[in-house]
Amino acid sequence: MKKLWNDKNLLQILAGGILLIAGFLVEHLTDGHPIATPIVFGIALATTGCSVFWRAIRGIFRGQLLDEAFLMAIASIGAFFIGEYAEGVAVMLFYLVGEYCESRAVRRSRAEIKSLMEMCPDRALVLKDGNEEEVAAEEVEIGDTVILRPGARVPVDAVVLSGDADINTAALTGESLPLSAHAGTSLKSGMIVLNGVLYAKAERTAETSASARILTLVQDASERKSKQENFITAFSRFYTPIVVGLAVLVAFLPPIILRDASVLRDWVYRALMFLVVSCPCALVISVPLAFFGGIGCAAKQGILFKGGCSFDALASAKVAVFDKTGTLTKGEFSVTEVTPVRGVTKEELLRLVSAAEAHSTHPIARALRAAAPDAPPAKSVKDVPGKGLLAVLPQGKVAVGNAALMADIGVAVPADASGIFVAKDGGYLGSVTIADTLREEVVPMLADLKRSGIRKTVMLTGDHETPARAIAKQAGIDEVHAGLLPEEKYAALEEIMETEGAKALYVGDGINDAPVLARADAGIAMGGIGSDAAIEAADVILTSDQPAKIPIARKIAKMTLRIAKENIVFALAVKIAVMALAASGVLSRFPGGMWVAVFADVGVSLLAVLNALRTVFSRKKTAPR
Amino acid sequence: MTYKMTVSGLDCPNCAKKLATLIEKNEGISGVRLNFLSESLTLDSDLDFDAVLAAVKKAVAELGEKVTVKRR
Repeated sequence: MKKLWNDKNLLQILAGGILLIAGFLVEHLTDGHPIATPIVFGIALATTGCSVFWRAIRGIFRGQLLDEAFLMAIASIGAFFIGEYAEGVAVMLFYLVGEYCESRAVRRSRAEIKSLMEMCPDRALVLKDGNEEEVAAEEVEIGDTVILRPGARVPVDAVVLSGDADINTAALTGESLPLSAHAGTSLKSGMIVLNGVLYAKAERTAETSASARILTLVQDASERKSKQENFITAFSRFYTPIVVGLAVLVAFLPPIILRDASVLRDWVYRALMFLVVSCPCALVISVPLAFFGGIGCAAKQGILFKGGCSFDALASAKVAVFDKTGTLTKGEFSVTEVTPVRGVTKEELLRLVSAAEAHSTHPIARALRAAAPDAPPAKSVKDVPGKGLLAVLPQGKVAVGNAALMADIGVAVPADASGIFVAKDGGYLGSVTIADTLREEVVPMLADLKRSGIRKTVMLTGDHETPARAIAKQAGIDEVHAGLLPEEKYAALEEIMETEGAKALYVGDGINDAPVLARADAGIAMGGIGSDAAIEAADVILTSDQPAKIPIARKIAKMTLRIAKENIVFALAVKIAVMALAASGVLSRFPGGMWVAVFADVGVSLLAVLNALRTVFSRKKTAPR
Repeated sequence: MTYKMTVSGLDCPNCAKKLATLIEKNEGISGVRLNFLSESLTLDSDLDFDAVLAAVKKAVAELGEKVTVKRR
């Protein structure tokens, strides 16, 4: 916080305020002395207005007659000349107060957003020829070994070579639970090592690493503007000239029509009130500020909006379409059902399968192995491509595979059995079913979306009908399109948008469905910060694999849009009301009518800015329950 | 080539607009995008960075506000 006496603008406001009060005192005590009163108020006006007058003069030389400084100068000097000294000073003083508060608000929200930028580390510790060396993060090359000590920020995207540590990923994902890292864990730049020492191999340079990408996205986000922001830009171009034109008409037309010069003073006074509300400042600053705050607030929770336009799209979607694998499901297989024959325990069956599959790297084999990881691996295994495998175990000769494998070795499978079959020494032992599992958060997430106005949920998948329907039923998805090739998902989405006649949001991982992400009204790429294609195609990028962020993103989008609209309606309504009251003479009938105009203008600006700030500081309200 | 700079010290969207117009007037600079909230300036130019920076600083001086420009 700056010291009071170093804050030039605040000093100017205080001095102006004191001089204005002095003016009132002099006016009152001297009964409106014709010389003393204007002199004191004149000093007050000069004190408060000097910087604005200077800006106005510079503006004139640049040919900017509709500059707000110029208009404020005219309004205050005009009031002064028709003898409304105090009001002339007030116009200027409150204009300064408004500007001061606005710039404070802007700085506050900038500072709030800037904490995001601190996640880009500037130094890195690198192992070179066996020695530790500190270098700038930009100098780390792909393949370098970086050393991460407790408290260090990961300088570049890297994969852990050795060591164990807990990692705080909050800067990237908004997730407060630490991630436990060990050999093979991939780290993203910006994460913080909490304890332990890690050696990691750099996989990207600093500029292409996660934190730099996130920053670029957030900083450029405001370039893709929303409807509301575009409206304000277009509106502000016409608003000031129109209001100033009206002011000129109000000042001079009635006296000319009435052919009565004595009413000129009254009409000029009315016209000056127009000038007071001629600045679209309230809108020009508060609407973009709302979006800026919304983008920042979302970014802190690992939700990256590509721009104001993404808010529109996300908030207005009525249909939610999801990719299945990796989005609704974990994208990892696990054993869901074990059906042994009588006399064999589930545990025994799983241990046999695990032992047989121990050497295979196939995702299905890994899932089977994970079900009983401590079973001693088989010594001899023969792979039967497309069918399964045959293994020799201490317990006997074991076959694990599909129906074709069982037929090959002459094992009869019960008619009602399904999944992966297991046989030992020519006898059927049972079956194991594996499936991709639903993410735990999907059910409440879908319920949240429904509550927020999504009327239909759809799942697209390349899987077969039966497992796809099973997952959809478990999740509570309304409609399933199964058996789709990646390129068919695009057509499926178009068909859904067509038949529903509504805006659709699409959630995918962005790896092979980038065109679908791009086609959707609101494309959400989950965990997509690593992929250029996903970033390019999506409107919203979630930095972590958490579908629960989708309803939160929608909540933020809706709130931001609501605040922007509130500001537009409120500011316009007040300004139009002031102009109508001023023109009709209602305001000038009361002493100090211009005060009302000044307060309406500055007050609306401040209220609109405060309203916009709600988005910046709304983290708690939108945090996951 | 696209250059990105951080422009700090702008207090109002109007000044940002004025500054953008002043920068745009320079020969060889186009596509000026100045965001006063995120304080980021993006522009396209065939000139080298120093020439662009000099042009931007000149525009800032002309605007007469306390604004600093840094490469991003």
